[in-house]
Amino acid sequence: MSGHPDTHTGRVALVTGSGRGIGRAIADRLGLAGAIVAYLDHDPELARQAADEAVKAGRVALGVSADVADAQAVARAVKQVEATLGPIDILVNNAGISPKSGADGKRALTWEMDIDEWQRVVGVNLTGAFICSNAVLPGMVARQRGAIVSTSSVAGKTFCDIVGIHYAATKAGLIGFTKHLAGEVGPYGITVNAVAPGRIDTPLMRGTASAANEAAKQATPMRRFGTPDDVAGTVLYLTSGNASFVTGQTIDVAGGWLMT
Amino acid sequence: MTRAQYDYSSHTLVLTGACGSIGRAIAQRFFDSGANCVLTDLDQDSVSAFADSLDPTGQRVLALALDVTDPAKVDAVMQASHDRFGPIHALVTSAGLYDDAMVADMPDAQWQRAIAINLDSVFYTCRAAIPFMAEQSAIVNIASLAGHRGSRAHAHYAAAKGAVLSFSRSLAVELAPKIRVNAVSPGLIDGPMVQNLLSLTGSHFIDQTPMKRLGQPEEVASAIAFLCSADASFVTATSMHINGGLYIAS
Ligand SMILES: NC(=O)c1ccc[n+]([C@@H]2O[C@H](COP(=O)([O-])OP(=O)(O)OC[C@H]3O[C@@H](n4cnc5c(N)ncnc54)[C@H](O)[C@@H]3O)[C@@H](O)[C@H]2O)c1
Ligand SMILES: NC(=O)c1ccc[n+]([C@@H]2O[C@H](COP(=O)([O-])OP(=O)(O)OC[C@H]3O[C@@H](n4cnc5c(N)ncnc54)[C@H](O)[C@@H]3O)[C@@H](O)[C@H]2O)c1
Repeated sequence: MSGHPDTHTGRVALVTGSGRGIGRAIADRLGLAGAIVAYLDHDPELARQAADEAVKAGRVALGVSADVADAQAVARAVKQVEATLGPIDILVNNAGISPKSGADGKRALTWEMDIDEWQRVVGVNLTGAFICSNAVLPGMVARQRGAIVSTSSVAGKTFCDIVGIHYAATKAGLIGFTKHLAGEVGPYGITVNAVAPGRIDTPLMRGTASAANEAAKQATPMRRFGTPDDVAGTVLYLTSGNASFVTGQTIDVAGGWLMT
Repeated sequence: MTRAQYDYSSHTLVLTGACGSIGRAIAQRFFDSGANCVLTDLDQDSVSAFADSLDPTGQRVLALALDVTDPAKVDAVMQASHDRFGPIHALVTSAGLYDDAMVADMPDAQWQRAIAINLDSVFYTCRAAIPFMAEQSAIVNIASLAGHRGSRAHAHYAAAKGAVLSFSRSLAVELAPKIRVNAVSPGLIDGPMVQNLLSLTGSHFIDQTPMKRLGQPEEVASAIAFLCSADASFVTATSMHINGGLYIAS
């Protein structure tokens, strides 16, 4: 039976946006399971810190800084990671932004949004996943193994009044991205999946007004916010040998919120 | 197989359809992860023989005959499970029946049997288990790709499995946050259930599957092991496809 190796031990994982928040928890969890982790973040200080702490805890890790929307920077980062750690076997497209504006901590309305903001969000959240996948896939295809997981959102599946149209569209875009890429690379033994977190307690979530977050909690059957670790557990599964036949899927990690 | 392990020691699994190909893989997976396993299926001798092969000492297995379409028997199994091992941590409904009939030719009895075995049983089993479920426990109901997409010559089966999906979500809301409830939807998994289909359709379905192979029962079992684990702590009211990409539309 083809499929992912049984353990994460020794597999190289690149996690984008892993300087803090959900990405950090995913990267740490993969590392604890034995993976060699590249912490990629736009913020060099956060990337360095995260990798330093992993190394201090006895793991092999590297911090790299790049803007995922910048193809040249990503190409350099991937080169550096592969030269230092080895071929990338796991890619987690997690970097994402959700610009807020206004006193209510919500988003710009579509008819008030300037095109630069739209383009920036599309560039990071959606084009960033393309750029990173495009950079690591040649190696994965050649080696006939690999796992890609992207961080979508329940906001990509339904209306969610705290995010902007750019965010909803890019998170929905990642679902189509996941389905299509799964079909393309399935014959090479590579799986491609996404997670769709609900409201997860991170700096990004705390950028939203607390009343809106409280309302979301009340609408969540599990009656709590998710934690970054909740999301990391599902990513660990999707990149493990346990999920060798799971591909093209988007798994909600949302405590039952919205039940998309 | 030494897959990334979940630790289920001192946990208890209750499983229906334990003698099926997927059922056996689920039992094996939980047993290997340390769980006590309450194994049920129609025929006492078969389920006893299977339990014996898993655990010749009999210490961590309980084998019970159960027709899941009989609610009184289902209640008795949950009581017996509790008497033997205490609270239930994982309930998995794997009993199922997949037979062929076009709607135009389907007798009432065949429809009713499919609904009884594939749907009513899930209601009876979950209802009976609720009072015995532990804090932070999990239910996984096995639905099917057919429940999402429909399936020619299996309208009865597909209707029941589609209902299992919405039943599972509704139950998830009722039981949150104490018990998480999810469904899994296998695609084509190697075993007797798909032999007839494959003999009629040849390589069509494998050609249509991006991963170019059938799934293995262990791959369904490992999805269920994940959904019952602490790694899935915020995953409830979902369904997960295990189909190699055969169906990626939902
Ligand atoms: N927090 C939630 O409730 C929630 C819900 C659903 C989805 N998500 C998604 O999860 C992912 C992580 O979100 P989070 O809550 O941890 O956010 P966060 O803002 O706490 O962390 C995001 C990290 O990504 C980095 N980053 C931002 N832009 C980048 C870029 N262009 N290139 C490289 N790195 C960049 C940031 O520096 C930061 O370290 C995002 O894709 C987000 O959309 C979050
Ligand atoms: N094999 C596949 O490709 C596939 C695909 C999608 C869904 N499924 C589902 O997965 C589950 C397990 O399938 P499998 O492949 O192991 O099938 P299987 O036919 O090998 O096993 C089904 C088991 O259910 C038992 N059963 C039937 N009627 C029963 C009743 N009234 N009471 C108690 N037990 C009863 C049978 O004795 C058998 O042991 C089923 O729910 C099935 O519908 C299987």
